[in-house]
Amino acid sequence: MRRSELRRQLRIRARDIIVKRERRFAVNVDEKSLKRVIRRLMRMDNYTHLSTITALEVGSEIEVIYHFAFTDAMVSVKIRISKDDLLLPSIVDLIPGAALYEREIHDLFGVEFEGNPDLSPLLLPDDWPEGVYPLRKWWSAERINAKLGGKR
Amino acid sequence: MTFEIPFGPQHPALEEPINFMFKIEEERVIDVKTRLGYVHRGIEKIAESRNYQQLVYLSERICGICSFAHTLCYSQTVEELLGLEVPERAKFIRTILAEMERIQNHYLWLGLTAKEMGFETLFMYAWRDRETIIEMLDMISGKRVNYGVNTIGGVRRDIAESTIERIEKSLEYLEKRAEHYTRVCTKDPSILKRTVGVGILRPREARALCAVGPTARASGIARDVRADEPYAAYGEIPFKVVTYRGCDVASRMYVRIDEIKESIRIIRYALKKMPEGPIRVKVPTRVPEGEAVSRVEAPRGENLHFLKSNGSDKPERWKIRAPTLANLLSLCRMLIGVNLADVPVVIAGIDPCIACAERVALIDAKTKRREIWDGKDLWRYANEWYRRKYGF
Amino acid sequence: MVSEEIWILIEIFLFPGFLFLFSLAFFTEWFDRKIVARFQNRYGPLHVGPKGILQPIADFFKLLSKEDITPRAADKVPFRLMPILLLTLAIAPLFCIPIMGSNGLISFEGDLVLIMFIMSLMALLVFIGGWASTNRFGTIGSIRAGLQMFAYEIPMNLSMIGPAISAGSLSVSKIVEWQINGVWNVLIQPVGFAVLTICLMAHLQRIPFDIPEAESEIVGGWLVEFSGKKLALIRLANDFEFVLASSLMASLFLGGPYGPWYISLITYLAKFLLCAFILSNLRAAFARYRIDHLLTGAWKYLTPLALLQVCLIKAWGI
Repeated sequence: MRRSELRRQLRIRARDIIVKRERRFAVNVDEKSLKRVIRRLMRMDNYTHLSTITALEVGSEIEVIYHFAFTDAMVSVKIRISKDDLLLPSIVDLIPGAALYEREIHDLFGVEFEGNPDLSPLLLPDDWPEGVYPLRKWWSAERINAKLGGKR
Repeated sequence: MTFEIPFGPQHPALEEPINFMFKIEEERVIDVKTRLGYVHRGIEKIAESRNYQQLVYLSERICGICSFAHTLCYSQTVEELLGLEVPERAKFIRTILAEMERIQNHYLWLGLTAKEMGFETLFMYAWRDRETIIEMLDMISGKRVNYGVNTIGGVRRDIAESTIERIEKSLEYLEKRAEHYTRVCTKDPSILKRTVGVGILRPREARALCAVGPTARASGIARDVRADEPYAAYGEIPFKVVTYRGCDVASRMYVRIDEIKESIRIIRYALKKMPEGPIRVKVPTRVPEGEAVSRVEAPRGENLHFLKSNGSDKPERWKIRAPTLANLLSLCRMLIGVNLADVPVVIAGIDPCIACAERVALIDAKTKRREIWDGKDLWRYANEWYRRKYGF
Repeated sequence: MVSEEIWILIEIFLFPGFLFLFSLAFFTEWFDRKIVARFQNRYGPLHVGPKGILQPIADFFKLLSKEDITPRAADKVPFRLMPILLLTLAIAPLFCIPIMGSNGLISFEGDLVLIMFIMSLMALLVFIGGWASTNRFGTIGSIRAGLQMFAYEIPMNLSMIGPAISAGSLSVSKIVEWQINGVWNVLIQPVGFAVLTICLMAHLQRIPFDIPEAESEIVGGWLVEFSGKKLALIRLANDFEFVLASSLMASLFLGGPYGPWYISLITYLAKFLLCAFILSNLRAAFARYRIDHLLTGAWKYLTPLALLQVCLIKAWGI
């Protein structure tokens, strides 16, 4: 896969595509273009599948990375959203297999995925307190322990 | 009459706790809801307070059976961040051990699936044969599981010449046994009755639900990270990606048995072609800023590690996606319409490793309090929960 | 007259009565476990007693001493009675089987029908036991047990009638006598023997037909709520059923005990162990079938074969 081909197929700006090394591409998108880009990505040759969705904290934003595997590359579609507005369109209508990944991120980071029919807790227990997102930096082990009343 | 049956977290058919709620009507499953969370250990959260070398040990303990795949994936990710090239001999040793782990896993799987089918004899035989490969791994690494061989920058132990001879002998034995199991599994009527046409996953569904590993390959999808993105020494070793078109548990069985034979061939080739040289390079403790993604083909499917470093000696974010999580949705899809009697066989068919599937943050094990999800608490918690919810 | 009565008491309680039967049941369990283990490349019972022969007795006493829990929601009376009834019913038919000499302790015209009836009752008891547990898994197990009975009962009874037709009598003792004077039934009714063996495997709920108990699917099925003493009695009843099954196979088809009393015991034991060996062998060699497989297989193959066998007997006038 080459950068030019990726740019042509996805029809986005050149500077939104970053080539990390051979076989590793990153594509920056925003909320509006997310699904469009993913749809075009899925139509490309050598597309294999969505490997997973990662979320991480970057300052006051949450970055969500969609890792797509191709037979000749890996393309990471990255999007940043502010912590005050944690809403992303769900891609389960394009890729049903994304359901559990989105559910996991919702559990652990608090990101809402609009359009995902089932965002019930996947990994956290049913009586987990609201608003405690374990993988955020602020929620350290001590804080979580304290919030749970120290009984666990 | 419609029943709702809880399957797990405590169940003889499950090695690890996971909960499925089945809606059964006249012995057929009409709906499945799944719930993870019983083996949370907080690994991704712990990772943010450990340095990279410590995380090698932690990654080993994500799963007991596919531990090597996890350490391999993690080490590769860190090596990419460091811009390191691992010595050739180390790559070959990694390949050999990864394939031995695959053989060990598939024999274990064969025994477990036989047990779910009620075929105790095959279970005993498969696990007896597994002892051979475990002994080999023990000889090379000193441990039967969690080998402690991989490290950032290479491997820690070499394979001596004398070991190679013994490996070759046990490979011969294992190959003969794999042939025997092929015969058994293609001819024995009770096995065929229990696995053919059971747990169907159509190729289109497998693709849409992002199935990986032998589960996908049994539906005819030739997806294998060793071929798509060769890592370690796979680029230099010719091998076949095994697929079958049956889409049922029987195909998954044949895929895995054939993969055992394929692995034996890979090991033989690698042992012959292994170059001399160092097995490890020195590694700095601080990792420059960056992000890296690495994939390996664990015995159960595609294993992915994502690492983001911030220039210190502790990672910023470590994300692990183990193959079983990817196959869970396919599993739920497969289970609809299946007889209750076939449920354990179908679940075993995707080779579930629940410990791999759930590692994400809960409570730091280093606090004075014991982790909540340890055996006894889990059991107590699960029973309390069920008692409250269903009034048992 | 006194010695006559004492002799009867000895027969009932010692030999071939209770003491002998209990010992035989335990011994058969050990035999079965050892054979299956050797097939599976394991040791089987090893430590308790010489070659582990006392292991079943040890297990029985261990279970007796464990906590016996009756679930709050269970139907108490059937739940508590079921193991006792099962054990009683399991021992009763054994008195009709000839062990020493060609007459059972109790033998009358029609005792074969009594045996068949008691076997059906035992299956019914399994159903009641699972149902009375009011546990989801127990209910499923008991339903499966009922369905299973629906599958195997007719071919089993038909295959047992075969020897009766040949011998012209419905008494096990008479059938044995007829075989001694003539030829073993297994040679002239091999199909009946095969059908009986398969149906007995289903009656005993052994793999490949342990569907009502399927451990890896429904966690113990109808057995799931029984513990402690009740479980001990149920397991003992299973052992006795196994003894009954092997004895039936040996008496009806292999000619039973033969000759004067000292030899007849040995011949009986030899044939009995052979049948037990066959049953253990079959258990080790298969995976578990599904209930629908069993039902279709039984009605498609077993019942027609059993009917065929009966017709053949009539046709050849044997």
